[in-house]
Amino acid sequence: MRFRKILAAAISLVLISATFAFAQREGVRNVYFDTLKIGYVEPTPIGVDEMKYVGNEYIDKNDSSLMRYVTGIVKRDIDFYADFDLVPIDSFFIKTYEILELDLRGWKRLGADYVLKLEAEFPGRRNMRVYWKLFYTFNNRRIDKGRIEVHRDEWRHMAHRISNEIVRTLTGEKGIFLTKVAYVKKIGKTKEIAIADYDGANERLLTSNGSINLSPTFSPNGKEIFFTSYLEKDPKLFKVNIASGRLTKLTDFPGLAAAPSVSPNGKRLACVLSKDGNSEIYVLDMKGRVKRRLTHNRSIDTAPSWSPNGKYITFTSDRSGRPQVYMMDSDGRRQRRLTYEGKYNDSPSWSTRGDRVIFVSRSKRGRFDIASIDTSGIDYHIMTEVGMNENPHFSPDGKHLVFSSTRLGKPDIFTMDVTGRHQRRLTRTGNCTNPVWGPID
Amino acid sequence: MKRLNLLLALALVFSMSMVNLSCGGGPKKVVDETTPFDTTSAIPEDVATEEEPEAPPEIIQESQFATVYFDFDKSNLRADSKSGLDSNYDLLMQFPDVMVKIEGHCDERGTVEYNLSLGEKRATSCMDYLVGLGIDASRISTISYGKEKPVDAGHSEAAWDKNRRCEFKIISQ
Repeated sequence: MRFRKILAAAISLVLISATFAFAQREGVRNVYFDTLKIGYVEPTPIGVDEMKYVGNEYIDKNDSSLMRYVTGIVKRDIDFYADFDLVPIDSFFIKTYEILELDLRGWKRLGADYVLKLEAEFPGRRNMRVYWKLFYTFNNRRIDKGRIEVHRDEWRHMAHRISNEIVRTLTGEKGIFLTKVAYVKKIGKTKEIAIADYDGANERLLTSNGSINLSPTFSPNGKEIFFTSYLEKDPKLFKVNIASGRLTKLTDFPGLAAAPSVSPNGKRLACVLSKDGNSEIYVLDMKGRVKRRLTHNRSIDTAPSWSPNGKYITFTSDRSGRPQVYMMDSDGRRQRRLTYEGKYNDSPSWSTRGDRVIFVSRSKRGRFDIASIDTSGIDYHIMTEVGMNENPHFSPDGKHLVFSSTRLGKPDIFTMDVTGRHQRRLTRTGNCTNPVWGPID
Repeated sequence: MKRLNLLLALALVFSMSMVNLSCGGGPKKVVDETTPFDTTSAIPEDVATEEEPEAPPEIIQESQFATVYFDFDKSNLRADSKSGLDSNYDLLMQFPDVMVKIEGHCDERGTVEYNLSLGEKRATSCMDYLVGLGIDASRISTISYGKEKPVDAGHSEAAWDKNRRCEFKIISQ
């Protein structure tokens, strides 16, 4: 019996390593938060050629701009991705080496390990069809190809799909280029919940109720957003359906209801209620009924966040006198303090693999920085050095972070990869906070 | 020279008001009303009320309630917070039908969620203090706005000092 168990384990281990070997190309970087310490590997350099028209018909100005737009989005995606670097076309270099046409040899000289070539046609004028081909410059072999056809209005979606294909081919991972980011946008005296593509495009408001709406968080299926709202004067928990915009009230307790976090299986909601006198963490069912109270003390307990495997909840408590990050089993047992460095640690959330907790820390420079710590409470590590930085959340692939920062004056949403590189500003209106990254569909 | 004139004028006003008070035997109401204000500004007001004696006010203004201030990341009451609450207690005793909501607020430092709880705790400490003095708990409710409604949008210590506060709002009277 025991032997069979071991055998099964051994077989699954072989299978796992086999799939990894198959999925991820040798020499392509594939970092996670937990692999950072193993040693720095340079991101994989990728060149993206301009898109060529391969149809037979005459194309007009709109068609050629569409081709430029799609290429531009793919380049931005590649440039953003943690494990990739977009190889810039260096005209000085091209002149020096008298490179007439940027073929694979030319790209290799520019430093690209891989080159993406894109070709387009417009079947029936209504659709756009793109053929993508990925080449390896060391042996000039094509390593993968594909075809995507969409209505031409869906060009942005198509570009992200192409980028996802490149990520899948090279790293064996699911790309995040079709994910969404939700955040709070201040409009006059009101705060509304906004949602946008991962790169900040297609922003729209999910609420416009003229009240204060805070702390958005995605349901695990990405279809709903849970948040706190002052819509009925006292702060209560609501959810909004992203597609339909339908709003549902979940709680109606006296006092405060705030800081929602949905369990990974989508069946429980951790949140803060003050109905029993002060802020305590409770677990509710999805209809807002209390299932369990997790904390019992006179201090503030808030900001619960479920671990990816649903077994633990990390949270903030000031039971030591100052806010610090704690962790407990999801039934409230074994409450333990994780952070001892920094006088003020708050807003914890999990790395995607559940091995580290990231949070906001009032660091030595006296400002708020993004920091992380091991789940055993060791290896405190600061990741930002400018501005006030708040509300860090991981991307679903575990390679990127979203957070808000006042580094350029007013608060905006920023993303970066786990090494601190590839930083990008998502919003430019100076009134956005509380970001959270949605799941991969 | 100028200063001397001013002093003379002040002395005159002061003596006149003393005379008014002693002869007119002004209603006790007037004296009561002056107590929340500082004495220097009270003198000309006395003159004004004396001219047209008013019925005792039946409505209180929200602005009569003192705003209570807190230290950074604290919800315990400072000495000055307690004196503010004491005067709010007097008002609540004077107007027994008034129901209030205490709004807890924080400065911009720290996260939205933590500050929501901190604001709640500040409002609760004010409420507990007043209930401890004998105000019926059913007359007071609390709400926290965390760091969402600063009175000063600045990012300085001075702005933060003003924003860490509890405000009293009248629900009904």
